[in-house]
Amino acid sequence: MERIAAWLHEKNPGLDGPIDVDEDLIEARLIDSMDFLEFIDLLEDISGSMIDLQEVTIDDFRTLGRVQQRFLSVSGPAAAASAAAG
Amino acid sequence: MSTSSTTALPDGGLKNPGPGLITLDPVHTALLHGLDDLLTGLAARLAAPEVVGPPLLSVEGLARLDYFRNFPHLGVSAGRFAPDALDGLAVGESPGELPLRPTGHLLPSATCYGLLLSLEGRDVGEGGLRLSAAGRCFRNETHYDGLRRLWGFHMREVLYLGTKQGSVEHLEQGAEFVQEVAGRLGLVLTRAAADDPFYDKGGSRARLMALDPVKHEFSAPDGTAIASVNRHRNFFGERLDIRAGAEGPAYSACVAFGVERWVHAMILAHGTPEQALERLRDARV
Repeated sequence: MERIAAWLHEKNPGLDGPIDVDEDLIEARLIDSMDFLEFIDLLEDISGSMIDLQEVTIDDFRTLGRVQQRFLSVSGPAAAASAAAG
Repeated sequence: MSTSSTTALPDGGLKNPGPGLITLDPVHTALLHGLDDLLTGLAARLAAPEVVGPPLLSVEGLARLDYFRNFPHLGVSAGRFAPDALDGLAVGESPGELPLRPTGHLLPSATCYGLLLSLEGRDVGEGGLRLSAAGRCFRNETHYDGLRRLWGFHMREVLYLGTKQGSVEHLEQGAEFVQEVAGRLGLVLTRAAADDPFYDKGGSRARLMALDPVKHEFSAPDGTAIASVNRHRNFFGERLDIRAGAEGPAYSACVAFGVERWVHAMILAHGTPEQALERLRDARV
């Protein structure tokens, strides 16, 4: 999560302090729409797994808490996807 | 505006200048003005004062709004003849062969850009600000199709700037108004998530928009989108330093109507321009 926090701070130099795990990254545009694919690349790099945009929803990226759970948990994205499908 | 004195032209019509360019006859003009009057009811309902936006937009301002990153293909430029071309023009040389120089300005492609740029640096307060305007907008298209797709058309918008919650409520009220007016006019509209006409359809912005639509369109039975509700999150607030009091960068949203497309939808629904005008008169009573 440190790399994600660092990336968000790099993209939002005006941000002070840590980002709350429940902060809405999309509505507050901490992930700017022009940087969205770069954010996906970062998640793929950290998790070591490809992200199929056909199989995710915007809520999967909405908060740091959800990103952690969906893409970076120990069980990994595949398990999360099958859990979501179930 | 009265539509009661509308008469057809005795010689059967007016010549159109070229693709995407249409001269509206008296009946179509009465429809356009009458529909625009009716659609202005949203501004009255939301207490949005009527303003007139600028006729040209600076490329510098548009660049700050990522306009060229998103829509480089749409922009219709305002050029002027180079000074050394003027003597030739004055003696009858063909204007089409002479060089144009950029002026640093484009014709508007949407009504709200000029309003947003005029609010740069403002604090609209937590109560927010609404503005209503109609303007002629211009877009380069790959093809043109009657009143459905024009090179220049009238776009009426009601813009809101303020809080996140305020922008949500603005769009809810706008969507309710669209369906209410459509019902009065005998139009059946379908609401669906939509995409802006991004140049890079596989790019970051387009991909995010596919996951989280910020635009919904209301379409006639033939698929013509005649109105839309659009939320911008706090993008314009950040880029233009427009604040909503203690809330920080303002969130914004707009409700937009393509007025010629409402004319098209009315004729589609009621058969002829004259019958559409009759129905419009009934709806306005």
